[in-house]
Amino acid sequence: MKKKARKKTDNKLAAVLLFPSIALILLLVAYPMVSNFQISFFEQSINPNIDPTFIGFENYTAILTDAEFLKSLGITFLYTFLTVVGSTIVGLAVAIFFNRPFMFRKISRALIIASYVAPTISLVFAWKYMFNNNYGIINYLTVDVLHLFDQAPLWFDRPTSSFILVVLFAIWRYFPYAFISFLAILQTIDNTLYEAAEIDGASAWQKFKVVTLPAIMPVLIIVATLRAIWQFYTFEDVFLLTNQVNTLGIYLYQTAFAFNDLGKAASISVILFLILFAVILITRKRVNANGNG
Amino acid sequence: MQMAMASSKKDRTTRKILFYIGLAFVLAGSLFPFFIMFMTSVKSTSEAIAQTPTLLPKIWTIDHYADIFNPELFPYVTYFINSMVVSLIVAVISVAFSIFGAYAMSKLKFFGRTTINSSFYVVYMFSGLLLIVPLFKIISSLGLYNTKTALTIALIVQTLPAAIFMLKSYFDTIPADIEEAAMIDGLNRVQIIFYIIMPLSISGIISVFVYAFMIAWNDFLFASVFLSSSENFTLPIGLNALFSTPDYVWGRMMAASIVTALPVIIMYGISERFIKGGAVEGGVKG
Repeated sequence: MKKKARKKTDNKLAAVLLFPSIALILLLVAYPMVSNFQISFFEQSINPNIDPTFIGFENYTAILTDAEFLKSLGITFLYTFLTVVGSTIVGLAVAIFFNRPFMFRKISRALIIASYVAPTISLVFAWKYMFNNNYGIINYLTVDVLHLFDQAPLWFDRPTSSFILVVLFAIWRYFPYAFISFLAILQTIDNTLYEAAEIDGASAWQKFKVVTLPAIMPVLIIVATLRAIWQFYTFEDVFLLTNQVNTLGIYLYQTAFAFNDLGKAASISVILFLILFAVILITRKRVNANGNG
Repeated sequence: MQMAMASSKKDRTTRKILFYIGLAFVLAGSLFPFFIMFMTSVKSTSEAIAQTPTLLPKIWTIDHYADIFNPELFPYVTYFINSMVVSLIVAVISVAFSIFGAYAMSKLKFFGRTTINSSFYVVYMFSGLLLIVPLFKIISSLGLYNTKTALTIALIVQTLPAAIFMLKSYFDTIPADIEEAAMIDGLNRVQIIFYIIMPLSISGIISVFVYAFMIAWNDFLFASVFLSSSENFTLPIGLNALFSTPDYVWGRMMAASIVTALPVIIMYGISERFIKGGAVEGGVKG
């Protein structure tokens, strides 16, 4: 009887405490999701005075047969794969490097995070200047000093070199995220495990494989999954750097706000939703089990 | 025996030196763009576009900083104030809502808890981009297009799930005994939140504040879709608009970039001291 009464008060209090968060999420996430689904069946422009026309699945067939979309999908998968692998490996390597006591450890750790927390716009300006075709320091170093290239690559104006540029940018910008997560878990590994492996004559690589990797596995899965999702929907990093790499985020944004076709943009969103949900279904159990939500 | 000890000591010194050289390389690679940003901001305009780039300026100048704060040349100060107002409001409201939400998720047993938890998790993985079309329509139909209110509300929603998860992980570490003792002393749940939970998780609250501020301060997508007139622009879209016009000057842009990046970098630097381990930062979205 007493227990029941206690439960009741919890329900009420929880409802009050969670109300602002849930109301906002319902209004600005759940409702838009439904609305988005609805819009995807209409031909609709940005101008609110032009009435939408119902066109069934036409937006979907238009997208799925659009060579530009399929190309964009391929580019996005490749971009996601390379940036996730790159930023995770660099982050892990730097974390292992940092996993020991040394002078300036705290300040070094804080400095490494700078690229991750600074606004994209500032970082993009710096990169645009560094990689400038005429007077950028990168072309000066790679062409005039190190002679890596015969001619300065036009970093912002060619699809391939621009793709390399946005991948490098993302690895540089996001490796600190992996770095922080790995450093935290590395500090929890018991040193005696390494000592035991050493007595057994294990090499550095074997120690990594037998001791480090199993210990960091849960974090590795979370880091790679979340990074993959965020990279898959990447928008401003690429959008602000170059107009030569058409990721899905940019394809969606331009369909809506440059080509003025909200219906088609909404159906691109729906397709992306489906991909996201597939990923969540596959990963949720594992990530949840590791206490990240 | 002594020989062996001497050589192992020498070994250690060598390894130490190699380590610090490696550290210098890692930091240099990571910070190089910031270095270029700063050096260009204190170079003359002609030196910034010289055929042979220089690392350090031949003549140091702070003109570019004076320029960006000159309202006749640049609306930089307007953008800065807009960004500051939006980001502070987002951070304060996010902190308030997430304290309540995280307390419920961490300490209360209630109907639908698991469902709500997984919905927050799904929203956390969401990107604003996926909802940009319906959000644009909703904002327009509410008459909020081109207002900072629209931007602020959208950004609060963006930060809430991660903010709740971050605080929940702090609240989870507070033992139930403390609360039970407080209840025996006659405090109700709301008083417990204010007098027990909040003081005990002040470092978590600071990191949520910094996180929400950063998401709002750095946002480009929502601002570019919801705002249309220059007097409402925040820094990211304002600077992007300035850069698209042909009369940009590298020194000014770099000065603007530095001043734009400083608030979040300083806030992170300060909050570092409060954050334990790093598990919380690991949950930061971006």
